[in-house]
Amino acid sequence: MNRKLGVYICHCGGNISDYVDVEKVKAAVEHDEGVFLARTTMFACSDATQKEMVEDINANQLDGIVVASCSPKLHLTTFRAVAERAGLNKYNYVHANIREQVSWAHSDNKTGATEKAIHLVKSAIARVRLAESLDPITIPSRKAVAVIGAGISGMRAAIELADMGCPVTLIEREHFVGGRVAQWDLLFTTDQTGKELVTRLYDDIAKRSNIRLLTGAEVIENTGNIGDFTLKVKVTPRYINERCDEGNLQRAIDACPVEVPDDFNFNITTRKAIYHNFPSEYPQYPVIDIKNCTRCGECEKVCGSIDFSQQEKTVEVKAGSVLMATGFDPYNPSEGEFGYLQFDNVVTLPQFKRIIDMCEEKLTFRGKDIHNIAYIYCVGSRQVEAGASSAGGSATDRYEEASRDISGENRYCSRYCCTSVIHSAIETKKRFRAVNNYHFTRGIRTYGKQELLYNESLKMGDIYLQSYENDPPSVIRENGKTTVRINDIMTAGKEISVNADLIVLVTGMVPRSDNRIASLFKLPKGRDNFFNEIHMKLRPVETVIDGVTICGACQGPKNITESVNSSLSAATKSFSYVSKGELELEPIIARVDAALCTWCGKCMEACPFDAVKKVVDGGKEIAAINNSVCKGCGMCLPVCPVNAIDLVAYSDQEMETMINALAEDIK
Amino acid sequence: MAAADTMFGESLKEFGAFDFNACYNCGTCTAVCSLSDEQNSFPREMVRFSVLGLRDDIHSSVKPWLCYYCGQCSTHCPQDAKPAELMMSLRRYLTSVYDWTGLGRKLYTSKAWEFGSIAILALLILVLFLFLHGPMTTELTDQGGVKLNTFAPWKQVEIGDWIMAGMLSFFLLSNIFNMYLKIVRKNKGLKIPIKLWFTELYNLIVHFATQKQFSKCDTLGTGKKFTFSSYWIIHWFLMSSYVIMFIMIVFFLGWFQTDNIYHWTHPQRLFGYYATAGLLTGVVWFFVARFRKSDEKSKHSHITDWTFLVLLFLTTVTGILVQIFRINGMPYPTYYTYVIHLMVLFPMLMIEVPFSKWSHLAYRPFAIYFDRVVQAAKKIK
Repeated sequence: MNRKLGVYICHCGGNISDYVDVEKVKAAVEHDEGVFLARTTMFACSDATQKEMVEDINANQLDGIVVASCSPKLHLTTFRAVAERAGLNKYNYVHANIREQVSWAHSDNKTGATEKAIHLVKSAIARVRLAESLDPITIPSRKAVAVIGAGISGMRAAIELADMGCPVTLIEREHFVGGRVAQWDLLFTTDQTGKELVTRLYDDIAKRSNIRLLTGAEVIENTGNIGDFTLKVKVTPRYINERCDEGNLQRAIDACPVEVPDDFNFNITTRKAIYHNFPSEYPQYPVIDIKNCTRCGECEKVCGSIDFSQQEKTVEVKAGSVLMATGFDPYNPSEGEFGYLQFDNVVTLPQFKRIIDMCEEKLTFRGKDIHNIAYIYCVGSRQVEAGASSAGGSATDRYEEASRDISGENRYCSRYCCTSVIHSAIETKKRFRAVNNYHFTRGIRTYGKQELLYNESLKMGDIYLQSYENDPPSVIRENGKTTVRINDIMTAGKEISVNADLIVLVTGMVPRSDNRIASLFKLPKGRDNFFNEIHMKLRPVETVIDGVTICGACQGPKNITESVNSSLSAATKSFSYVSKGELELEPIIARVDAALCTWCGKCMEACPFDAVKKVVDGGKEIAAINNSVCKGCGMCLPVCPVNAIDLVAYSDQEMETMINALAEDIK
Repeated sequence: MAAADTMFGESLKEFGAFDFNACYNCGTCTAVCSLSDEQNSFPREMVRFSVLGLRDDIHSSVKPWLCYYCGQCSTHCPQDAKPAELMMSLRRYLTSVYDWTGLGRKLYTSKAWEFGSIAILALLILVLFLFLHGPMTTELTDQGGVKLNTFAPWKQVEIGDWIMAGMLSFFLLSNIFNMYLKIVRKNKGLKIPIKLWFTELYNLIVHFATQKQFSKCDTLGTGKKFTFSSYWIIHWFLMSSYVIMFIMIVFFLGWFQTDNIYHWTHPQRLFGYYATAGLLTGVVWFFVARFRKSDEKSKHSHITDWTFLVLLFLTTVTGILVQIFRINGMPYPTYYTYVIHLMVLFPMLMIEVPFSKWSHLAYRPFAIYFDRVVQAAKKIK
């Protein structure tokens, strides 16, 4: 191929030219095959040089350029834009990195650095000689978004999407919406209850005709890709007709003889097999928990709306993008961790929140009055390596010490708990008489406006004690009395004890234990096992699975404000995938040579994005690449035994000619 | 191990403390304190003890007595927890703790007790005079002065003085002994050689006489080791006047309460002028400061602070009036004012010296003395 190439070698002000003899590089390559012009420049990225490049390309009808400068991470898009401004297809530009890979790495050897720079530029020239003009891949995109999880994040995102004119299917696994927020009473800053927030969002959803809400619904299958997802959703019936008499339903609940631990109250109470979590829970009619129902028929006797003939069904949901808002689980302490399940007055923070919500005039738990409350912070968060904390745990007849081992994998801070527990402690003090709050902390993190809350609690006389992670507080039961002891670093390490009626383990957030949804979508998880975004700062709601966005606490610990922030962000991002009805994708993807492929399946196994499928082409089984899913990572190339797969713009031929150029002797 | 007790904080509020719970332990107060050092670091530690209600640690601490209330800690406290006022309250509290009779606590925490005691003691004086006073003669001395010693013979008054001084000494000394038990004997197993009690004794004398720690207060950032602050000087003027007056009326009453009218250069009159000047200046100065609340240390006044100032002021003014009436030959005004003078003086001394504010004059130097002895004994060990 006869090409007319321009080569630009950058000084980078001296960053490159101090160690690489750029003039020598220019002299070494300017007579290479196809090179029409070669220039050195002080700053290739400067406006002036960019303009010069555009003029060069236009004046000389150049059909390919090489820029040898810094890392392509910095300026690949800059020079692609230069090519496009000059009317040149951007894939006819090849970058050579002679700063990070040459001048900075070999500042001790100028001759060698110059030689390496020449090799790199020559190999870039060799590659650009073979470069093809490429056009982005265009695929249709269905204007609909599936939102998974109807907690605060999912509900808010659904409303936002609906208001942008996008049909939404909101899929909730539970029979009631609201997620964790519905389980909370008063919330900080607004002094609204969680139930109020959920009610408001539910009303907003009910008003919008383009939101379809599925409750008792679980995604069981996912096929398709960005622009065209097809989800199979299993919908469990409520076994209760929608039009029903509330009084009769209450009687049906009363009649039910089954009692099971109530998840909604974190198992501190029980509920019937026919239940709602609280009277105004949305949707506003109960459900029969068919797993625990004995079909005794008592409820049918008092209520005509009960209908056991309802069948489980599978619904197909089609969407151009999927928004994940599946939330979190509260950390569940292991048995004996700070006395949990070992002493009857040790509860978790979510349980405590339910207890204060359910107590009316007096604060009681298991029939005992509560006055002194000890809060042990960071349980299940900021865990340490095994052996880094003392384990505790010894027992004699009348003396029993709980384990204070805080080792584990959850190294992160759960962010919300300091604020949440301090808020609960203040509310408890305000609502009930003679309550003393003792906080056993590892440092308070009530960031932002939440600091006011910490201040308020101090002024109300709450006592804060602090320990380091290598010496957590111990919980001791002696002669029927429970005390919490700490070597308080605020009091020069002095051992302080508190006689506690109730011990609240301030438990953090952990990823959902049921993570089937993640495997259905192949969502990557971070080291903490929460869903992972592409870039924490710059692409915070996108995932490497195109078309799938994440928000809320499924991504990591967040409070409500932060969850809703991210949910609105994810709604906008998801909408951007579907708003135009079509999508442009990078053309650098894998390509199968149908003649060579013999279908062994190795490429399918190697593909991390599920982009390879077996198809039958002219009676022959071969591999086919899904253009919308392939990321051009190249994992399938080396595993192919017959070399039937090539990567666009990185073909074998291109790579070989680059290697040849690198291996060439330089005179 | 010590048990945390939130009730302690509540009881401390009766002694004037407030908002100290707001402390988040940054330690700014200790950093800006010019008197806090490595051996005795405060006030943060005392705030912490108070928040946690660690009574034993507070009772055995000398630190409240080492603070002279410059108020820098309260000014710089980011939480507005008023550590200086807490230290002040702890001094009141400790005064009541050292007092084994329990009266101190009553007087600090109950207005009824405070004013009731004053009234009863004043009435006692009144009754004594009603029954025991001498003839109210209008006859004047040769110099034209009132014959006060005929109405109230100094020998009889002195008997009362001695009884009062005996009671004051008994209560104050026993309270100091109680303080010794709490501060020194608390260090179990620490052997204190008798010699140390003598070698460190100069601390007690020097600190009582000069109150030099006061001069070191609020010197941080000035580069000076001490300052002649008006506060220290006025306080010292007041204190020395008080002591002189006390000595004159208890030990030299016959010389002080004379019917003679000496020339103004006579020591009896010079001492009298010095003491009344000191008392008046001090009292007025502190009154104005507490009214204006312009500096941190004068912002917060407990009811007992006012009581002390008012009693001292009345005593001084009536004392001056007695002298004026006597010298100018006005018998009845002299007699009545004299009775009123004693009706104020007696309750003031009885209440303030062993049980209330005055006692800090003894506790402060003793705290330093006990602390130095304990430190020295620990060094030997």
